[in-house]
Amino acid sequence: MKKFKISVVLLMAFASLSFADEMSGEQVISNVYNRPSSNDLQANLTMELKNSQGNTRVREIKQFVKAIPEGEKKIMYFVAPADVKNTSFMNWSYDDASKSDDQWIYLPALKKIKRISSDSKSDSFMGSDFTYDDLGDRALSDDTHSIIREETLDKKDCYVVESVSKQDNYMYSRTLTWVEKGSWIGIKKEFYDEDDELLKVLRVLASETLDGVIIITNTTMENVQNGHSTTMTLKDILVNKGLDDSLFTERMMKRAPR
Amino acid sequence: MRYRFILIIVSLFSALSLFGQNIEIDGYARSYIGVLTNDTHDYSILQNTFDLKFHKGLSKAGFFANPYVYQYPNQNINIDLREAYVDLYFDNMDLRIGKQQIIWGKADGVFITDLVSPKDLSEFLLRDFEEIRTGITSIKADYYFGNNTVECVWIPVFVPTKMPDESSRWSRIPTFLIPTQTDYSMKDIPENTDESEIFFKYSGMTSALDYEVLAGSFYEDDPTIHIEKKVDPVAGTPFLQLTPQHHRLNMIGGSFSTDIKGKVFRGEGAYYTGKVFPAMDSYDIPTLTLDKDYLYYLLGFDFNIGETKMSTQFIQKAILDYESSIVAEEFDNTITFLMSRNCLRETLTAQLFTYIGLNNSDALIRPSLSYDFSDGFEISLGANLFYRNETSVEPDISEMFGYFDTNDMFYTKVKFSF
Repeated sequence: MKKFKISVVLLMAFASLSFADEMSGEQVISNVYNRPSSNDLQANLTMELKNSQGNTRVREIKQFVKAIPEGEKKIMYFVAPADVKNTSFMNWSYDDASKSDDQWIYLPALKKIKRISSDSKSDSFMGSDFTYDDLGDRALSDDTHSIIREETLDKKDCYVVESVSKQDNYMYSRTLTWVEKGSWIGIKKEFYDEDDELLKVLRVLASETLDGVIIITNTTMENVQNGHSTTMTLKDILVNKGLDDSLFTERMMKRAPR
Repeated sequence: MRYRFILIIVSLFSALSLFGQNIEIDGYARSYIGVLTNDTHDYSILQNTFDLKFHKGLSKAGFFANPYVYQYPNQNINIDLREAYVDLYFDNMDLRIGKQQIIWGKADGVFITDLVSPKDLSEFLLRDFEEIRTGITSIKADYYFGNNTVECVWIPVFVPTKMPDESSRWSRIPTFLIPTQTDYSMKDIPENTDESEIFFKYSGMTSALDYEVLAGSFYEDDPTIHIEKKVDPVAGTPFLQLTPQHHRLNMIGGSFSTDIKGKVFRGEGAYYTGKVFPAMDSYDIPTLTLDKDYLYYLLGFDFNIGETKMSTQFIQKAILDYESSIVAEEFDNTITFLMSRNCLRETLTAQLFTYIGLNNSDALIRPSLSYDFSDGFEISLGANLFYRNETSVEPDISEMFGYFDTNDMFYTKVKFSF
């Protein structure tokens, strides 16, 4: 089964057949990244953005993702709010860490597709508490991984893995990931800012199994410094339906799926 | 006007009944107020807009209609269809028939190969993107193979760019020492198949490169003003007769954009044949015209600095085989600069877009700030500031931006999208 990286459910890895007693941090994260997964997925994504006063804004997206030999293709159609309706965004990402993502956006008011710069990984995704980097896969070799302890979280035995970027000026000084033993799901992740202060906490709230594949359906990212939070919910999920390559083209960016 | 409104509504409801109940309807209401910064404090614009979009998409067909209303105080309301078309979908081909906006090219804010849809320049370049291009009645066929597309467009009837009224503050009127009269008899193009327009485009979208190769045979949207010296047969006084006329052009061109280490490089160019340029006679009056080939191209660069999106473009127009009597300069150079930043969870957007004319050292500077009070409700504040090189005595129509130096304005827009 091809590797499939569903951006919005990053850290939602699972299902390894075996693991050794003595694990390294890199092995744990490798198991997370290389978990079995589906060839394609389509779903409706709802993002609920809350600010510190409790005011809520909702973003709705219809998304399609397909694994390709070199990486992954994804297309997203913005459904709500009204002022971004029918905007579409396409991303082709590559396993080769030296190759930048290819990204395009279709703005219905402009009536044309624009290739956009992909060097804005630290930008917020649609105003949420997720950055594009949080939502995408990082190459295993981008960070140094080490197990700092083992502990039980939500009655699950976990490795706690610290990952430190090898890249200078990366937006996080380090991250801590609670990886459930055996399933290799990252059930919690803490992000520390450049001053090594806790910035954000990602939690997995729900998952479901489809076609033998566990899909994380509900996550929340809380920014502990400003009190904002974002909840992502996947609904109407379909996996392994044989999405055609023609879905990830200029034609389909301009024409929302029926 | 009332008849037109009724016709639009009846047509829309006919379409709705054909396609059933599941019609998507969205649109916006907007109020737009602009005030000149000069001593008059005149309103540059007082406009209320209601824009509706009707969509229906089935597996094999769809339709779209976009009626809109502009309302100005003490004036008749302006109702029209921005677009109204039917789509037919085949396995590897789409056919779109009706009034539609067709946008080509990779340029931002300039029109090099983007020549299919006419423009609405009644407010110079200040209208929103969606509004500056007008729909054109046409048949568009797209054939797809892999990530490539072949597009053919046939426009049965030429529609010119909408220019400002002569009384508008956006009109560009040449001044002469002797009186002028305008003859519009040559402005209209006969409505028959011989005078129709046709465009072709081949485009591809790959990881390495997006590209377009295109060609067209069409009428130039902006008319050339032919000038003839005449004598009034009654008064016996000389005058200049100005005759606007659209000329047929042939164009080949292309565009590309590519990502290099997270930065986007863009280019677009077109080579025109048969373009007519006014030229000076021996009395320094532009009564002559010369046909010259013409090159128009752009190079652009998009990048990010932190969370700020930046974009810059260099644009050049070059008249080939140039002759000194031609009124226009041999080379006309412009640069644009865009800076945009979102903050407060993408509810606040600050933007600065600038055109700088290098030939005349003039500029249009467009700062703006927009804030989303809630989803779909946006308020914008901005300015359109024209800069003119004050070493010249009087504004000249060749000054693209400086000519409107007295039209500096501040504006606010309140928009609710649904």
